[in-house]
Amino acid sequence: MAPTGSARRPGATRVPPVVLAFVLVPLLAEAFWVFWPALQGFSLSLTSWDGLSAPTFVGLGNFSEMLHDTVFRTAAINTVLWLLLFGGLSAALGLGAALLLQQERRGIGFYRAALFLPVVFSLVATALVWQAMYQPDGLINHVLQAVGLGGWKHAWLADQDTAFYAVIVPALWRQVGYVMVLYLAGLKGIDPVLYEAAKVDGATRVQQFRHITLPQLRSVNAVVLSVIVIDSLRSFDVVWALTRGGPYHSSELLSTYMYSTAFQSLRLGYGSALAVVIFVLAFGVIVSYLVRAFREAD
Amino acid sequence: MTAFNATRRGFLTGAGAIGAGALLSGCVTQTPSASAGKSGGPVTLQSNLSSPQAKTAMQAIVAAFDKRGDARAELNTVASETFRTQLPTYLTSANPPDVYTWYPGSVAESYAEKDLLLGLDDIWEKPELSGYSDALKTLCTSPSSSKKVFVPTSYYWWGMFYRKSNFAKWDVREPRTWDEFLDLCDKLKSKGVAPIGLGAGGDTPWVASAWFDYLDIRVNGATYHRELLAGKHRFDDPEIRKVFDKWDEVRPYFDPDGTAIPFQDATTALLQGRTGMMLIGTFFADAAPKNALDDLDFFQFPIIDPKVPVAEEAPTDGYFASARTKRADDAKELLRYLATAEAQELYLKSSSGTTLPTHPDAKDAGTPLVLKGRKLIEGAADLTQFFNRDSSDALQPTADTALVHYLAKPKEIGSILTTWQRGAQKIWSR
Repeated sequence: MAPTGSARRPGATRVPPVVLAFVLVPLLAEAFWVFWPALQGFSLSLTSWDGLSAPTFVGLGNFSEMLHDTVFRTAAINTVLWLLLFGGLSAALGLGAALLLQQERRGIGFYRAALFLPVVFSLVATALVWQAMYQPDGLINHVLQAVGLGGWKHAWLADQDTAFYAVIVPALWRQVGYVMVLYLAGLKGIDPVLYEAAKVDGATRVQQFRHITLPQLRSVNAVVLSVIVIDSLRSFDVVWALTRGGPYHSSELLSTYMYSTAFQSLRLGYGSALAVVIFVLAFGVIVSYLVRAFREAD
Repeated sequence: MTAFNATRRGFLTGAGAIGAGALLSGCVTQTPSASAGKSGGPVTLQSNLSSPQAKTAMQAIVAAFDKRGDARAELNTVASETFRTQLPTYLTSANPPDVYTWYPGSVAESYAEKDLLLGLDDIWEKPELSGYSDALKTLCTSPSSSKKVFVPTSYYWWGMFYRKSNFAKWDVREPRTWDEFLDLCDKLKSKGVAPIGLGAGGDTPWVASAWFDYLDIRVNGATYHRELLAGKHRFDDPEIRKVFDKWDEVRPYFDPDGTAIPFQDATTALLQGRTGMMLIGTFFADAAPKNALDDLDFFQFPIIDPKVPVAEEAPTDGYFASARTKRADDAKELLRYLATAEAQELYLKSSSGTTLPTHPDAKDAGTPLVLKGRKLIEGAADLTQFFNRDSSDALQPTADTALVHYLAKPKEIGSILTTWQRGAQKIWSR
C-alpha cells in the first residue's frame, strides 16, 4: 500500500496530530509513572539512604549484602514456594471447579457465582475476615474442637510452622474462582462434536479429558499461567494484612521484605535493591513467556 | 533540596510500579497547596490518635481552638501505623501538614538534627509553657541544636494492670518483690487462669518490648538501657543474657496466646478474667468499657535487684511542627493552646482520662488509679520513654522480631541475640 510517487504530496504522510497525541500522551504518562521511577529506583539501589539525609553512594554494596542476608534467602525461597503452591493449586483447583461446573444444570449458576464471589472482595478485606477465623478463639479452632480434633487447635498465624500455609489459603480461595472462570470460557469454546466422535469411538472419560479437553485448552492455559505468575510475584496485600511477613520472617515474601525494609526500618537503599531484584524476576518471567508465546505463534 | 525531593518522589512511584503503590498512594495525605506567607488556610493537625475516645477528644480541642478565633485548625486523623511509616515523607515534602502528634526525646531528635522541625524557643518563654518542669524542658530540647522543638501535653505510665474484683475473687494481693511476683503467678496458674496476658500478636508486636525494657531497667538500670538503645552496648552482651534469664523464670506463666492476639484482644481477656494481669500503658483503657475503669488497678513492675535505682516507663506525648510549614505563626498559636491547662483538661474529660497533663496547673482526672500512677512516676529515680522512643522507630522492628522469636523458641536465645545485634547494627550504620 505504499503511495505512488506521483500521488505523493508533501505532508501526505504526516501523522494527524490527534493520532500523534494518542501515541505520545500515553508514552509520556508511561515514561513518567513507570520508566523514570524504575530508573530512579535502580539508582537508589546503589545508595544507602534513611529517607531523610542525602543518599550516599555504596555501589553494589546492597546487592552483595543480600548474598549473606538470611532473611532475604527465606523471602526468596518463600516466593518460589508461593509461586509453586499458589500457582499450581489455583490452576489445578480452578480447572477442577470448571470441569465440575461446566454442565448446564438447574442451579449451577448459583455454585458458579458462589465460587466467583471471593474475586469481587478486596484482598485486604478477605484477609481481615480470615484473620478473625484464624484467631486462637476463632471459627477454625472452634470447628476443630467441635468435631473432636481439639488437639489440632493452633495459633495459626502466630506459629512459624503454619503461618505461611495459613496465608496461602485466603489467596487461593480468591484465585480459584478467577481461574475457574477462565477455564469455563475455554471449555465452552470446545466443539461438542469432538466429544461425540470420541464417544462413538468408545473413548473413556479420562481418555476424552486427556486427548480432547487438555489439548483444546492450550491457549487458555497460556493465559492462566501468565495471570498466575504475575499474581504470585505481586502478592503482598494478603501477607501484609495477615502476618506482615512474621512471625520472625517465616511468611516473608520478597515483596513484604522490600516494604518492611524500606518503610519500617527506613533502609530505603536496601529496599530499592530488593525492588530491583523483584523487578528483574518479574521481567525475566514475562519476557521468557512472551518469547515462547511468539515462537509458538510462528 | 529540590533534586532530593524529586528522588524521593521518584522512589515512591517506583515502588508503586512494582507493587506497593496502592498502599502508599492511598496513605499519603496531602494538604491543599497554600500560598507562601503566614496564613494560608487552617493549620493542619495531623493526628495518629485514632481510637474512638481519643479522636473525639481531639475534635473537642480543635473546636475549642477554632472558637477562640486567633487562628483555625483542621484535624486530620490517620491510622497510627500509617502515620508512623509516613512521617518521614510528611516532614520532607515541600508542602507538609503543619502540626503533628508525636513523641519527644530521641524519636523527635532524629528529625530535629536534620532540621525538619520548627524551632519553638519563643513559645516556651510564653506563660502557657514557662511553668513546665525542668525535666520536660530537657526532654523537649534538641541536643544537636539546643533549640526546643517539642510541646509535651500529657504523659502516662506503664504498670502491671489487673481487675480488683478478680484479684479479690482469686484471693491474691499485689506483689512487691520478684519472688512474691513468681508466687502470685503460681497461685493464679493453679486456679486455671493464665497469669500474664501479653497482646504481642496482630499489628501490636511492640507490646513485648515493654517486658524487655522493664527487665533491662530492673536488672541493668536505666542508664545502661538508654546506652544500649543508642548503640553503645551490644544486644549479645552478657548483661542482656541476664535479662532473658530473668524472663525465663516468668515466661511459663505467660498466656500461650500472647503472641497470637493484639493488645486490644488481650485487654478483653484481662477484663473477662481469662488472664490475671498485664504489663501495659494506660492507653489500653481507651478501649475498655467505662464501667470497667473503676475496677482497674495496677502495681509497680516488681523490683529485681534492690541496688539498681528504680526507674519507670513514663512515655510523654505531645506535638511538634514541620520546619517547612507555610503557617508558622498559626502553628505556634495552636501549639501554645495545646500547652494550656484548659486544652489538656478538655482532652482528659473527653478521653478515658487515664493520662496525666503536663501543665502544672491542669487537673488530672483525680481517680484513685490516676493518683496512684502519679505517685509511681513522682517516686521514680529515673524515667524512660519506651523502646522506640528511647531509640528510633527504625530499631523497633528488630526488637519485635527478636522478642516474638524468643517467646516461641526460648532455647534459641543465643542465636536470636546475635541476629538482633546484626539487624540493629544495620540501622545504626545506615
